Amino acid sequence: MTRHPSIRQRLLNALLHVSLAWVTMATVAVWVTAHLEVDERMDDALHESAEILFGVLSFEADKLPVHGGGSLPAPPHDERLIWQLVSERSEVVLRSHRAPLDPLLRSRTEGLADAPGGWRVYGMKFPSRNMMLFVAQNEAERQEVQIESGLTMVAGAFLVGILCAVWLRRRVRQELKPLQELSLAVANYHPLEQGANLAPVSREELEPIRDAVLDLGGRLALRVDMERAFSAHAAHALRTPLAGMSAQLAAAMRESPPELQPRLQRARAASERLGRVVSALLTLFRRGVKPQLGTVDLEELVGSLSPQRLEVDVHCEHQGLLADADLLAAALLNIIDNSERHGANVLAIRGQVRDAQYVISLLDDGPGVTPAQLDRLTTALASQNYERGLGLGLMLADLVARAHHGSVCLLELTRGFGVEFSLPLSPPKMRQNLQAP
Amino acid sequence: MRLLLLEDDTTLGEGLSAFLRTEGHVVDWFTLLADVVALRDEPYDALLVDWQLPDGSGLEWIRKLRTSGVGTPIVMLTARDLLRDRIRGLDGGADDYMVKPFEPEELSARVRAVCRRQSGNAGQRLHFGDVEVDLAGRSTFRNGARVDLSSREWTVLESLINRAGRIVSKSDLEALMLGFDGEISSNAIEVYVSGIRRKLGFSVIETVRGMGYRVPQ
Repeated sequence: MTRHPSIRQRLLNALLHVSLAWVTMATVAVWVTAHLEVDERMDDALHESAEILFGVLSFEADKLPVHGGGSLPAPPHDERLIWQLVSERSEVVLRSHRAPLDPLLRSRTEGLADAPGGWRVYGMKFPSRNMMLFVAQNEAERQEVQIESGLTMVAGAFLVGILCAVWLRRRVRQELKPLQELSLAVANYHPLEQGANLAPVSREELEPIRDAVLDLGGRLALRVDMERAFSAHAAHALRTPLAGMSAQLAAAMRESPPELQPRLQRARAASERLGRVVSALLTLFRRGVKPQLGTVDLEELVGSLSPQRLEVDVHCEHQGLLADADLLAAALLNIIDNSERHGANVLAIRGQVRDAQYVISLLDDGPGVTPAQLDRLTTALASQNYERGLGLGLMLADLVARAHHGSVCLLELTRGFGVEFSLPLSPPKMRQNLQAP
Repeated sequence: MRLLLLEDDTTLGEGLSAFLRTEGHVVDWFTLLADVVALRDEPYDALLVDWQLPDGSGLEWIRKLRTSGVGTPIVMLTARDLLRDRIRGLDGGADDYMVKPFEPEELSARVRAVCRRQSGNAGQRLHFGDVEVDLAGRSTFRNGARVDLSSREWTVLESLINRAGRIVSKSDLEALMLGFDGEISSNAIEVYVSGIRRKLGFSVIETVRGMGYRVPQ
């Protein structure tokens, strides 16, 4: 049997994929955003630093030692921000300790610019002596800051994503648990058992399902009870008179003169056939009853059906027919009756093994059916639409074959009518039916 | 054989009785359980009991019979054909179970079979010295030659064979032969036994003085 995918597993898988995609997208978005934002903030910081430095240097600009590219005194430190004062002739006249001796920019560019050597520079005009103030930051330094801040944010986003995914998985499991419990309860629900019930559900959405299953189960139990009562009554009401007829006829045959014997014999044969049909119909009616499988001698079985006028030629090429003798007899009896009623004189019955099936073919020499009728009957058989003029004989034959996990098919013949029963050679693994306890 | 038939359906009961009588059996047919409850000591060869009766359950009656030690072969006749019903019937004490509709010939054969098992004679043909008795064919042979017994003689012989090894009193034999409806002369049993001995010899039936007759087991 095909194993269908689990809703929970599918949801969890979908959740995992969505989570991974979300984390990836969030990571990229955070990374890009962080990169741009940090870059902008650092430019702002560079600008602010330049303005602060401008203010400090402008305070007593005339006293600045602006000659020879020297630097102002400062304690030893790791300089992350450098600055230069560049004269009109593009000479560095004053600078911070680690600032290069050459001007960062040859041009007198104001505002932000990228300078050779991997510097990000902010330039401002310095009013004293028409100089330029350049404040710069190393690009590598800026990238390091960008990467560190980016990674921190990405790690945070990733962690939040993973935590959300784990939490959502847990929620999915929890939310699907009532459905799972209901599913298990329905699987173990046997409406035909005394006091069968389903445990209350804990979710509003599941209540209609539980109510529907209970309603269906209740109706099924009622129906089965009615069928059981009918079946028991019908069995008694039909079987006992049949046995009485048979006993009366058997006694009458013993007591009557020879000239009445053929008439009584025919009446007994009819009574016996009626008994078989009644037994088969009762068995079929009780859907829970499995066919009583046993090895059947087809020739002997057909011989016991004793048609009145039809000549039956039966021959088995193979043995090994496994069937319920009563059901099969009833089905064959109806096919034989059909042939007889439709004016056939000879009915050939063959039993053979074909394609791992025991095939019983019945071919008569009657008028048969037209292709249109055959098509209609075949369609009705395939769809089990018995009301479309299939007749009791074929319907019973089809039901018997299906009860054996076999099939019935009609043969296309140029003359006469042909039916084939195909029955499995070994007992099929029957499904657990709704069997009466 | 003397058979008790408990069947409420008159068509079946009357038909079966008539058929079984044509087979040479003595049949007492009843339609109500109340009518047979007092008959537990009657010497029946077999009881044919319907399950559902107007005044009670045939199966319950069978259970009571078995509980009280009655070992008479019982064949249950019923319309109940489900496996669980057959099991209930057999576990309840029936020796065989026949689902309606059935052929009377089959019922008769099954009655013979359960009686054979009861008497310990599993085979259809029994040998008593030079005498051979074919129970199924209802025929007897002496030194290989067929010997015809009258219907009454056969009934006496069959009744004794069904109780092989046990002493059967003259009154029991009378009851076995006639049931409740018939009448019999006071020396009829001696006449029939004498007829059997004349045809089959003295090895088949022995007389136990003052007690009755016996067929060796």
